[in-house]
Amino acid sequence: MFRLLKVLGRSLHPDFQDGDYVLTAKAPFPSGKIKAGDVIVFRQPVHGFLIKRVSRVLDAGQTFEVRGTQVDSTDSRNFGPVPLSRVSGKVIWHIRQK
Amino acid sequence: MLHKIIKGLDQHAQIESVDAHCDIPCGIYDPHHAQIGALTVIRMVDLIDQHVKEHGKIETAEFFNSMARYIAVKEEHAELVKHEIRVIWGDFIKENHTEQFPQLHGLVHKIMALGSKARQTVDRETAMLLLDAVNEFAEIFWQIKGKGTKRVKSPYSVSEDMVVPEL
Repeated sequence: MFRLLKVLGRSLHPDFQDGDYVLTAKAPFPSGKIKAGDVIVFRQPVHGFLIKRVSRVLDAGQTFEVRGTQVDSTDSRNFGPVPLSRVSGKVIWHIRQK
Repeated sequence: MLHKIIKGLDQHAQIESVDAHCDIPCGIYDPHHAQIGALTVIRMVDLIDQHVKEHGKIETAEFFNSMARYIAVKEEHAELVKHEIRVIWGDFIKENHTEQFPQLHGLVHKIMALGSKARQTVDRETAMLLLDAVNEFAEIFWQIKGKGTKRVKSPYSVSEDMVVPEL
């Protein structure tokens, strides 16, 4: 149900920094359905286990467009929308380094 | 405090990581190499023309040696232009950039075609068109990066325009 994960990389900098920790919850999410602005973790076939912010909810919550904060973030601009079936969890707690 | 505790735990328990992935890693992109390549193509065309005028039809080993070197460098740098632009186009440019600059795909295709033509010919006009297209690409690139640009005369042996960022 809950997972503690370590963030690697700078795609969500400065909101999430390399080395931060996040607590994620699996569906059904205790804080409600995924909406724009939520941060989710998901399995992407090419790029692996990723964390990104949802920029748009598509197909009545069945797919999500995700974005990083950096101009060269690897996100839905590269690999398209993320289906709900690949979403492993939603970030419910962010443990920052500072 | 909490982060320190979890980090200590992580060192023993190996908490799984999740990747906030950038392109290897938050890549460094710059059209400068392509611009240098385009200027070099112009320089080689100038040197080839000058070499022919100076030597006329004297077919010496020295003539052919120099000519071969100019052609080789022209080939190499025209291909460098194409390579550098392809990398920025493929790895850096995203869909929202092409929405903002709908001319981008056409411009990249134009650079590819002009790069090939610059290899096939010894034509200053083609080489100048290649530089113009690369400069236009550089302007768009720096706009995407949120930087202003200006046109300056290159400080090299070819005194043609270069687009440079206002950093």
